[in-house]
Amino acid sequence: MVLLSLKVMIKVIFFIFSLFLYSNAYSESTVKAGDSLIWDSENQSYTATGSVEFSNDTFIAFSEKMIAKYVEQGGKELFTVVELFKNVRIELKDEIFQGDYAIYTRDDNTIKLTGDVSIQSPTRLLTGHELIADIDNNKRILNSANDESLVEVLLENNANN
Amino acid sequence: MSKFLRENVFNILIFLLLSIQAFMYYYDNRPSSKIFSQKSMSVENFSSIVLGKSGLTKIGSEKLNKIDEDNFFLQGKSYLENNEYKIYGEDISINLNEDISHSKKSVQVINSMGTLDAKGFRNIDSEGKIYFDGIVIFKSHD
Repeated sequence: MVLLSLKVMIKVIFFIFSLFLYSNAYSESTVKAGDSLIWDSENQSYTATGSVEFSNDTFIAFSEKMIAKYVEQGGKELFTVVELFKNVRIELKDEIFQGDYAIYTRDDNTIKLTGDVSIQSPTRLLTGHELIADIDNNKRILNSANDESLVEVLLENNANN
Repeated sequence: MSKFLRENVFNILIFLLLSIQAFMYYYDNRPSSKIFSQKSMSVENFSSIVLGKSGLTKIGSEKLNKIDEDNFFLQGKSYLENNEYKIYGEDISINLNEDISHSKKSVQVINSMGTLDAKGFRNIDSEGKIYFDGIVIFKSHD
């Protein structure tokens, strides 16, 4: 009898846990636009202009313009590619990425920034021309514009990284 | 001839004035077909279905005002619903000929991706585009 009730309890806990996982799988994204937003259902995109803010469960991005493309999967629409234009600022945990243009790709969960790019964290400031941030693998690749230009690094004295 | 005119000048003048008055009276009282054709029609607590590019769209409002054959004004709380979106707003104008609906009042749009709040919208159904004005907040469920 005790064993049976234990089994039922395990099933209930598993069910509740499954519901929790399901709700996390469909986490919320938010787009805020200061001037206007265009929903183009033919090209499956949203174009936002004027003090744009895009946020999901991983990062918050700010820019002057945003084009977000989506696809339909199982009756739901998902953002697949988010492009950000002008004065791009992306806040990812304790890091701030800045640049002229950024593209976020959902499939590989990466952000690529170009232009006058910088990565700012509590202990360092890196500047360059192109940044590729691999969110899943926690990797950052910062490239210079060409062989002659430099990637600049500013480290604080008490830096641990 | 001049003698005849001199003697009857007042009669001719009176005749002309009476003719002008009769002419004015006739045109002033004649029913205008233009006004008749633009006569508006309104229905309260209205709902109907229209066929557009997005398929069948259910429209409804507190009061429907028919402006002409192609133009309708959904007065008060109104909605447009089809299989692509649900638009809930106020004072929505619809042009059936051009497949355009618009409003300058607060609107909420629900689609399969999420919920959008804006200060106004312009829906060009033939292009598959909806333009939202002012501050727009769109919350989606990834």
